[in-house]
Amino acid sequence: MIHHQLSKRDFLKLSASAGAMMVAPAWAQQAASPPSAPRGQVVAGISQEPTVFNPLMPGSEVDQGVWWQLFSTLWFIDAQGNTVADLAREVPTVANGGLSADGLVWKVKLKPGVTWHDGKPFTARDVKYTLDLINNPAFRARNRVGHSLVRDITVVADDEIHWRMESSFTPYMSVLSQTFMVPEHILSATADPNTAPYNQAPVGTGPFRWGARRAGDHIQLDRNPSYHGQGPFLLRVIFKYIPDQTMLYTQFRSGQIDYLGLSGIQPSFEQEAAKLRGVRIMPVPTPFIEHVALNLGFGPFGDKAVREALYLGMNKEARIKAIYQGRPLPTESYVPKGHWAYNEALPAHRYDPQAARALLDAAGWKPGGDGIRVKDGKRLAFSNSTTAGAQAREQSQQLLMQDWRQIGVEMTIENMPAAVIWGNFWQKSQYQSVMVASNFLQGSDPDVTARFSSASIPAKGGSGLNTYQYQNPEMDKLLAQGTREFNLDERKRIYHRIQDIVRSDLVLLPVSQTVIIEAVKEKLVGYENNINSSSNCWNMRSWYWAS
Amino acid sequence: MTQYLLKRGGQSLVLLLMVSLIGFGILYLSPGGPLSQLAQSSNMAQEDIDRLTRSMGLDRPFLIQYGDWLLRMVRGDWGTSYRDGIGVLATIGSHIGATLSLMAVSTVIAALLGGMIGIWGAVRRHSLMDALSSVGAMIALSIPTFWFGLMAIYLFSIKLGWLPAGNQQTFGDGSFLDQVHHMIAPVMVLALVETAVWARFMRSSMIETLEQDYIRTARAKGVGGRAVIVSHALRNALLPMITLVGLQFPTLLGGALITETVFSWPGMGRLFFDSLEYRDYPVVMGILMLSAIMVMLGSLLADVLYAIADPRIRMD
Amino acid sequence: MMKAPGISDVAATAPHCPPGALRASWQRMTRHKLALAGVITIALMVLLCFAGPLVLRLDASYIDVLNRFAPPLSNGHLLGTDELGRDVLARLMAGGRISLTIGFAAMLISVTFGTIVGMIAGYRRGVIGALLMRFVDAMLAFPTIFLILALALLVKPGIVSTTILISATCWMEVARLVEGQYRSLRNTEYAAAARTAGASGLRIMIVELLPNAMGPIIIVATLNVARAILLESYVSYLGYGIQPPVASLGNMLNNAQIYLTSAPWLAIVPGVAIALTVTSVNFIGEGLRNILEPRSQ
Repeated sequence: MIHHQLSKRDFLKLSASAGAMMVAPAWAQQAASPPSAPRGQVVAGISQEPTVFNPLMPGSEVDQGVWWQLFSTLWFIDAQGNTVADLAREVPTVANGGLSADGLVWKVKLKPGVTWHDGKPFTARDVKYTLDLINNPAFRARNRVGHSLVRDITVVADDEIHWRMESSFTPYMSVLSQTFMVPEHILSATADPNTAPYNQAPVGTGPFRWGARRAGDHIQLDRNPSYHGQGPFLLRVIFKYIPDQTMLYTQFRSGQIDYLGLSGIQPSFEQEAAKLRGVRIMPVPTPFIEHVALNLGFGPFGDKAVREALYLGMNKEARIKAIYQGRPLPTESYVPKGHWAYNEALPAHRYDPQAARALLDAAGWKPGGDGIRVKDGKRLAFSNSTTAGAQAREQSQQLLMQDWRQIGVEMTIENMPAAVIWGNFWQKSQYQSVMVASNFLQGSDPDVTARFSSASIPAKGGSGLNTYQYQNPEMDKLLAQGTREFNLDERKRIYHRIQDIVRSDLVLLPVSQTVIIEAVKEKLVGYENNINSSSNCWNMRSWYWAS
Repeated sequence: MTQYLLKRGGQSLVLLLMVSLIGFGILYLSPGGPLSQLAQSSNMAQEDIDRLTRSMGLDRPFLIQYGDWLLRMVRGDWGTSYRDGIGVLATIGSHIGATLSLMAVSTVIAALLGGMIGIWGAVRRHSLMDALSSVGAMIALSIPTFWFGLMAIYLFSIKLGWLPAGNQQTFGDGSFLDQVHHMIAPVMVLALVETAVWARFMRSSMIETLEQDYIRTARAKGVGGRAVIVSHALRNALLPMITLVGLQFPTLLGGALITETVFSWPGMGRLFFDSLEYRDYPVVMGILMLSAIMVMLGSLLADVLYAIADPRIRMD
Repeated sequence: MMKAPGISDVAATAPHCPPGALRASWQRMTRHKLALAGVITIALMVLLCFAGPLVLRLDASYIDVLNRFAPPLSNGHLLGTDELGRDVLARLMAGGRISLTIGFAAMLISVTFGTIVGMIAGYRRGVIGALLMRFVDAMLAFPTIFLILALALLVKPGIVSTTILISATCWMEVARLVEGQYRSLRNTEYAAAARTAGASGLRIMIVELLPNAMGPIIIVATLNVARAILLESYVSYLGYGIQPPVASLGNMLNNAQIYLTSAPWLAIVPGVAIALTVTSVNFIGEGLRNILEPRSQ
């Protein structure tokens, strides 16, 4: 069995440990029922501009928000962790014959009667075309994780498609839950899908169709009257781009914006926003984990005692409370709370500078003349980088600098623009330490091979995201097992063990799970936070205005 | 004249070539690239980035990339944006209107207001009014314009609520009145520096004219009232005004970038800033070339008009 | 972007300062009260920024998370505290130090470089001269802020890189000015005499002719300091200049926009400081121009 059916009880049990912050989505319950005729529009305010409209090409989180309205996937994962069929008639399982027992042969049946925005019928040929396009070396696909293992795609009938996996890969279910289908009849006719006019006026099977775009200002999407699913209950959706946070908030306050998502409301406005009337402010946990990434290939960081001392010397509480207004959830894991693979039994962090100092002393790091520890002539000094302009994180860095100075560690701040820091500096492990918030999930799958496998170190010629240069044979073994295991309980055990190792080895220093403050007008019903999806706009088709 | 224009045209082309070389060189040498932004947010691995880099031709040597770009430019193809694939000219075109409207309105206000202040100061030299306006102009040129913008937002938007805090129009309402309402604050900021420049310029230009021999003679002879003399001097000060418009292009463009950033104004300056951040090289190059062309046209206009006005100046 | 006021008028005359006119110059200067006020203000600022921290014992980098956003005149903080609880007055002094230093250093670099280029182009003429001046023209075709932002791509942001960035955009006017100066100077009898006396070109350029060009160069240099301080504030505000935790008057304003509603003093104070500094320097420049170019104003 591959798809995970997490019962409501399990889900609540997992989330109970997360404290009062966690989801008990009162706001997601329908106060009234959807209107019989769609009405009204939603203006969603975002601080980054969506510019990529082909859902297979590299795009950012904002682009995803638009894709969820224009396109559909074979199935998606809802807020409770259930895999729900969308373009597929049912989610393939071993039980219903959709999957072979070894998980290598897939037989997917499609929903009948689905049409593209231009009226043409959606068929299995579109699915084949989409998968082939992703694997086409000339096409600038975002990535091919999982897709590259697909072989012998056969269109058996208009509504049925079969293929074979080269090797068993459990996360593929989750990968497909975020792979949108593109139309064969339009794209195969263009000379180059990379630069096709389709990419500026896309056609999909989603609840909304392409309306208009005013570059640098907004995107308008209109309701798709022949949508194959339930809804939509809105006439149109508008994504309004306002780069300045203050202005974004001002426009929300004056009522011009109905939903503030993506980065949400800045902590500095939260107090004032809470007093606004007709508006709902909600702390929303995201799958992003704020952490300090350490380059284990850099001198002092190779020493586990140093890493442990750094963790002990970090005053997490002060940071979370002061800079982030207490919103983020302190965490010990790279998996977000509420996820089925989350390990709640990890040892808790404690802020103990005394113990940190003792640890460093014992490891041979003695304080030098200027208070900074020295060992074998090397000072315990390193740089920490983050994206320039990320205000809260910059403040966090300065606090950390002060914290660590008290245990005799010198941290210098070297921030740079995003385009520089995520280039070779990050990819080729040229950094010493980086403060960042990342989503470690593959879609919603907890597979972290790309992050912690010794074969995934780009600086050493591997291919992946292991810029920490972490190498552990036990980890490699567990990672391989995890992607081949189908039994959910067994997988859980494996990923719990992986989290144990990451925590005890302190490959990275986990700080907190990012919680953003999203805001929505009170009368707008249907919004539901979903850490298993790439965007909180995943279910705009279910939104409506209560009268 | 035609010979002069041809010569200037040739010189300008050489200059544009140099500008493009400098600009392209800077972009080529800068670390990071258009794909780095995506590296973090969408969990793309190194080999994905390498693959895309090759596919976009970003790994080719400098001269080949530059040559490719240049050949296309010559044929009128300014390239397509890396972010959304739309043509560079179309992208700039959709943003330039907002900038031009800011520049135009600010220039008009600056010319009228600044001109009046400057001329008045020249006519009533050493009076209190003149001293105050001179000092005022100097202060205006010393304030960071973005700070002035922030203070304007604080006072007029946050405290008083009279003016919107940015953007070109209220969403859903695009009426002329609404647009004018939104334009007030950004124009105020952009016109601040411009007015000061015009005031100083017109003042010294007017002083120079008033000291011309023929005016002095006319005055000594007692010919005409003050008004006649002033209007005479004004007419002669007019031509320099037009030259100033051309010469101020670089200042206006730079000022527009700052103003558009503070007020989230969807103009070309803001586009330049965003494109730099995303390393959208084609758009950056397009804007650099376009602004260089504008600057050169402006200074050409100024030189030609000046030469027309004063035939004593040899055009070489 | 701000064009230094009156650069074009500076190029007009090449004054020769006969000795003994110093007293007359000083008298003219003191008559120009604004320039005097400028000198006093700058002197006070330098004193405050460089000597202040020693006397007042304020720490610009001490983070006090329990005491964030304290308004001015509250428990020991004359100008309040910022988003990390740091004392704003201390930050102002630290920022002033950085901004003033960068302004001065950038001026030195840009004036030196521009003078060298202008000297060579104006004296030697010929192909090299033409090429140099075309290069100057090309650089001037970029609006200043566009050029700075583009050049900022090449360097990691910091104090040294910001100084270099600013210098790289301020030397062109100096070069043009000096080129014009030398173009006329090389034709004077003075230069001709030096040539017949057998002096080398280099010696003539530097030893003989430079003192005559110093007047306008000094004026431009002063105005360049003002320009450099302003440019630093622009670049740091946009996020490409001085990075935290180092304070500069510009990057204090970078953080201020978000807190405009809740803590406006964070935006007001650094802005006033910049305005005051730059205005003072500009007035000094105007005063210098009065001395060195006693044309009726």
